[in-house]
Amino acid sequence: MQIIENLKVKEKLYIEKLENGLTVLIIPKPGLLKKYIIWGTNYGSNDSTFIVPGEKEETVVPEGVAHFLEHKMFEQESGINSLDTLTALGVEANAYTTNDHTAYLYSCTDNFYEALDEFMDYVQHPYFTDENVEKEKGIIGQEIMMYDDYPEWQVYLNTMKAMYHNNPVKIDITGTIETISKIDKDILYKCYNTFYNPSNMAMVICGDFEPEKILQEVKNRLVKKSANGEIKRIYPDEPETIVKDKIEQKMEVSQSLYSIGIKDVVADEKEKVKRHIAIEILLNVLFGKSSKFYQELYSDGTIFGTPSIDYEFTNKYAHAIISGQSNYPEKVYEKFKAEAEKTISNGLNKDDFERIKKKIYGLYVKEYNDVEDISKMFLADYFKGINSFEYLEQIDLVNIDYTNQIAKELFNSNKMVLSLIKNK
Amino acid sequence: MNYKKAIIKQGITLHKIDTNKFKTNLFAIFLTTKLNRENVTKNALISSILRRGTMNLPSQEEISKKMEEMYGGSFDCGLDKTGNNQVLKFYIETVNDKFIPQTKDDMLKQSLETLLDIVFNPYIENNAFKEEYLAQEKNNIKQLIEGKIDNKSRYALDRCIEEMYKGESYGLYKYGYIEDLEGITARDLYNYYQNLISNCKIDIFVSGIIDDQLDELVKNNENIKQLSERNGEFQKAELNNKKNTEPKEIIEKMDVTQGKLILGLDVNLSNEELKYDALLFNSILGGSANSKLFQNVREKANLAYVASSSYVRFKSNIFIKCGIEIENYKKALEIIKKQIEDMKNGDFTEDDIENSKKGIIASIKTIDDEQDTQITFYFGQELSNVPISINEYIKNVESVNKQNIIDIAKNVSINTIYFLRN
Repeated sequence: MQIIENLKVKEKLYIEKLENGLTVLIIPKPGLLKKYIIWGTNYGSNDSTFIVPGEKEETVVPEGVAHFLEHKMFEQESGINSLDTLTALGVEANAYTTNDHTAYLYSCTDNFYEALDEFMDYVQHPYFTDENVEKEKGIIGQEIMMYDDYPEWQVYLNTMKAMYHNNPVKIDITGTIETISKIDKDILYKCYNTFYNPSNMAMVICGDFEPEKILQEVKNRLVKKSANGEIKRIYPDEPETIVKDKIEQKMEVSQSLYSIGIKDVVADEKEKVKRHIAIEILLNVLFGKSSKFYQELYSDGTIFGTPSIDYEFTNKYAHAIISGQSNYPEKVYEKFKAEAEKTISNGLNKDDFERIKKKIYGLYVKEYNDVEDISKMFLADYFKGINSFEYLEQIDLVNIDYTNQIAKELFNSNKMVLSLIKNK
Repeated sequence: MNYKKAIIKQGITLHKIDTNKFKTNLFAIFLTTKLNRENVTKNALISSILRRGTMNLPSQEEISKKMEEMYGGSFDCGLDKTGNNQVLKFYIETVNDKFIPQTKDDMLKQSLETLLDIVFNPYIENNAFKEEYLAQEKNNIKQLIEGKIDNKSRYALDRCIEEMYKGESYGLYKYGYIEDLEGITARDLYNYYQNLISNCKIDIFVSGIIDDQLDELVKNNENIKQLSERNGEFQKAELNNKKNTEPKEIIEKMDVTQGKLILGLDVNLSNEELKYDALLFNSILGGSANSKLFQNVREKANLAYVASSSYVRFKSNIFIKCGIEIENYKKALEIIKKQIEDMKNGDFTEDDIENSKKGIIASIKTIDDEQDTQITFYFGQELSNVPISINEYIKNVESVNKQNIIDIAKNVSINTIYFLRN
């Protein structure tokens, strides 16, 4: 096993790529009772057009299949749902789907290996029938409707729709009631067989484990499957331009929700972590709690909570989002643009930069407090081709000149959108 | 892990949790006072205005800069309704010196002093809070109160509690009432604040790698020296002995896509020990994926994505939550009521009990692996009638049997059915 140590957080990462293509990452946490395991496939809501290894024709599946599949994986031929079996062992099991990956997980204190039997069994044995697929449509339908009532989710999704012409990041992970109605068991099996091959998957384990021993336990439970060829994923071409600079929806809310999106270019492989860090520092200097932007808008009653700052990317898209609630969202947007302009011409203040850099370093360190945060982070980063320790290493390389340069690239007024949810 | 309590002065307690499981030290100060209509809005304002500045760091900007300087220390405050108490919570989390490049900072001392400063040494002008800050925080609280409608599921639950506890303190909204805001002046609020910190129960928590000097550090702190002894009265957890009445049914309209159904149940107990039985009852009814609600409302009838229940120990209530198609209201309600009936008839297995115990015990065991949960647990014990350790807690859960749970079921009644529809 390859061992990577990080001296800043004093943690070790053990990595092994197995013969069947599965990558296993282990972060031992001696002394902790809580154990966490997460098994993911590099397959999310964005992957709806692809060529199955060995085939020539493109396969196009309805929106929402990856998430539907996640729900159905728990169903077993015995008629007993794996979620019930795991819960009965006293472990907390769950699963989730994102744009680029689907993950199955559980956390526990006792019965780790009994749970591992069931866990690895269900992820490797799908069981779909016409009947069990139909019944899930009612449950997922309610999940979709629940999200329809979340203004935070709607304002986010609308930001994507305003920024992206074609990239599937703009579609809802769950699909819609209409698209999921077209899903059947054959589609699910086809997607399962394509994307749930070990060579497309990774597992992260965190807790009080002996790395060699836990790796052997995992190997013992693997079904024999060989690595399949490359899955060709087809994404529509995405122009660099945005779709529209403003998008608005009405819901019953106390005050407007705003979300400012900035469409970014996809960074070079070697630079993506460094760029991400620089953008986090940049946006926190400009729009964080100690910023002039926040202090002024807070003082005159325009905003109350601190805006949330996010930067999201894969190798197909990248964008920054600043969001919050305000009665005067247009004013927030104007001020945001003014700050961006000013930064392009004057650059950041040196003290602010150094202070926020310390803050970001501290936030990275805090990620290592909890086995769950650690596991999810290593998995998500792995599918982006990143080892999470890189953030702790590369932050030292990010200086003010580099960050000012990134500010010039990012703050292009032709690539900014404003999404609003206003009260009816 | 090592948990110790020290009485600093009567009514002021220091809780020390010595643990090396985390990269951070977590500091918390909780001010506990009785919840009532007269003071609820003032307490909300206090919790909000204390964030604005101290005599040493007179603005929010300076507090934020100080936190950022301390490697992303985070300062946070919150307001909780715990039974009939209102708890003002203040936290600072900072990275432990061991994980910082230069170690000369003494983050523990700095963090503790800053937090004490924020809570006990607020920025004051002419014997009053700063007018400008007060005006802004009034506006802030107003937005929070109005913002109640934004999260529809949460709103439905809040409304159900309000209806169940109409005219009682637990029915109050924790952020208070808009009509109270206007009349509160900067001087009134400061007088009220002084009264509050002179009389309320104060709990100080420190979790992380703690040095031996901690007790001295707290005792010799200037802000602590200023505080006098107090009774620190608070309301203990209740057993909920309500008379059985016909369930109230409340249906309200809002612009929602999905209907939000909440049932508020009373769980009448004759003594405190029965709370563990009630915990098991809730777990089998709706506490997990194996529960009756999840299995019957979601998996069998496919009516919902969310179908669960939770037990509020302090009031001995259970709240059932479901998100459903509006037309399925009657159907869902019928299935839910059937599950409660089945519990009374003992229609659950020894396996259900064992599995629920495993789930509860696993979550209790992880308390020490999560820094904020740990503080919440020990604070819960502090307010409880019979404080116990994690091991005793586990033993109590283990000793519950089927008859105990049936006895609980027989003392469960539906108080309020609340449905939010379009």
